[in-house]
Amino acid sequence: MQQPFRRHFLTFTGLALGLMTGGGAHAEDGAGAASGVSPSLSPSLSVSGFGTVGLVHVSERHADFTSSVLKKHGAGATRRWSADVDTRLGLQLDLALSKRWSAVLQVVSEQDLDNSYRPRVEWANIKYQATPELALRVGRMALPMFLAAEYRKVGYIYPWVRPPVEAYGSMPFTSGDGADVNYRWSLGPLRNVSQVFYGYAAVPLEKPSRAYGRHITGLANTSDWGALSVRASLIDTEATTDIGIALFDAFDAFGPAGAALTRAYAIDHKRYSVASLGVNYDPGRWFAMAEASRSITHSLLGATRSVYASAGWRQGSFTPYLTWARVHATSATSDPGLPLAGLPAALAARGAALNQILNGILATIPEQTSSSAGVRWDLGTNMALKLQYDRVTPHRGSRGTLINQTPGFVSGRTTHVASVALDFVY
Amino acid sequence: MGRVKPFRHAAAAFLLSALLFGPTASAAAAELVVIVSAKSPLTALRADQVAAIFLGQSARFPDGTEAAPLDQRLGAPLRDEFYLRVTNKTPALLKAWWSKMVFTGRGQPPAEAADSAAVRRRVADNPDTIGYIDRTALDPSVRTVLVVQ
Repeated sequence: MQQPFRRHFLTFTGLALGLMTGGGAHAEDGAGAASGVSPSLSPSLSVSGFGTVGLVHVSERHADFTSSVLKKHGAGATRRWSADVDTRLGLQLDLALSKRWSAVLQVVSEQDLDNSYRPRVEWANIKYQATPELALRVGRMALPMFLAAEYRKVGYIYPWVRPPVEAYGSMPFTSGDGADVNYRWSLGPLRNVSQVFYGYAAVPLEKPSRAYGRHITGLANTSDWGALSVRASLIDTEATTDIGIALFDAFDAFGPAGAALTRAYAIDHKRYSVASLGVNYDPGRWFAMAEASRSITHSLLGATRSVYASAGWRQGSFTPYLTWARVHATSATSDPGLPLAGLPAALAARGAALNQILNGILATIPEQTSSSAGVRWDLGTNMALKLQYDRVTPHRGSRGTLINQTPGFVSGRTTHVASVALDFVY
Repeated sequence: MGRVKPFRHAAAAFLLSALLFGPTASAAAAELVVIVSAKSPLTALRADQVAAIFLGQSARFPDGTEAAPLDQRLGAPLRDEFYLRVTNKTPALLKAWWSKMVFTGRGQPPAEAADSAAVRRRVADNPDTIGYIDRTALDPSVRTVLVVQ
């Protein structure tokens, strides 16, 4: 059902991009003459890119530390050292057709849930700059959320090795297919950019599963006042995935009590929303930032609150920084499950096994605190080397943001994470 | 208490490395002026207004007409000094800023010209263009709207 829709959408975007590329020469005459200014406005293709080569060592032997739930493994249980946590490569083509029309294609390669680095089209959109303040885009684009979510894959932009996993792990969708409107406006000394997005996303999980986000509505507003930047965002979608479908089919066989559990926990047309408020103060010599967010899923993914604060100071080409982050579950991380009293022994045993699986999943709703210290070293103006040390502590029975835990995993034990990353843009 | 120690040690080590490799001396001061065409009605701009135009945050002059910023070439000492004084950004921070703009689809950096004379010529010919040059390169074809302190 979703597949053909998605394919049509990409075909449309691809066709439109192709048409615009072909039609570039014509666009030049009209728009170039009308604007009559600098040569930078004639059709031009710019190729840029970004990447990170990272290596992570983790003390934990019974779970993997990684940067996103959309990765197969990380460092820890699978292997002590891992290059898969942060390593990625991105390529971006920007086609400026005229003063008003432009198109962008961004492809990113990084480890996914199938342990492949198959490049994924992160963005493919066409932008119409109606006025210097108003821009409309159609196609695939970054979802508006958090302070750093739109550029979370471009390590060179931020000071850390990776954005705090406690906050940014709560929304695995990074881009969506749809349309958005960006409007830039001023209020006295306050410079604002407001954004509204509507669309759809299909995220490949472990094959053949996918997660679908329908009716994604995103609202974001960034206000800058000198060195101060405040960003508020809200993203809301109807999420569906076949993850856990076998469990819920088994629950359904237990009658009304089982069906009630399915209704409560299955990720089937469930409202999934993430709201965040972030503040960044960056006068140049130092920076301080903090962000709080809330995610609600009405499913086995639970509800969480997260907060982080980070500060650093710039000494020549060195930027030492400290970060503290926390994610807290606001929904139940366990459930009594099916009532087993009075059931025949065989059925009760089966019910108990299902309850155990459900509680195993609910225990993955993250509860975690971490403190980090790191230093960014700018090597020239397109490359930075970063060293970071994190103390990551999942607590209250949760595995936190860790993945692939083995039976020997104990919640509450601090994991030491050492990372080195070389970020570049070109 | 003992649990906190490794963290403190790490922080102290980073602080020390920062102090050892400390701040770099800034380039020798040239007198920098921000200019528009003599044909432009604009007479003065504040530093924050100039910063917003050059950082892609504002596409218009205060009177509402569209503004096209023009940079000196990448690596020119005058360019680094302009951004340091007007936006508090070092070349690396500026690169991170434009990486953010480019990789979020918000914009592309300003066009460039080879030197102060080239900037002055382009600015003189285009009333919507704004640039910055060494004060010694001034002539009557352009008007100073800000003396960079």
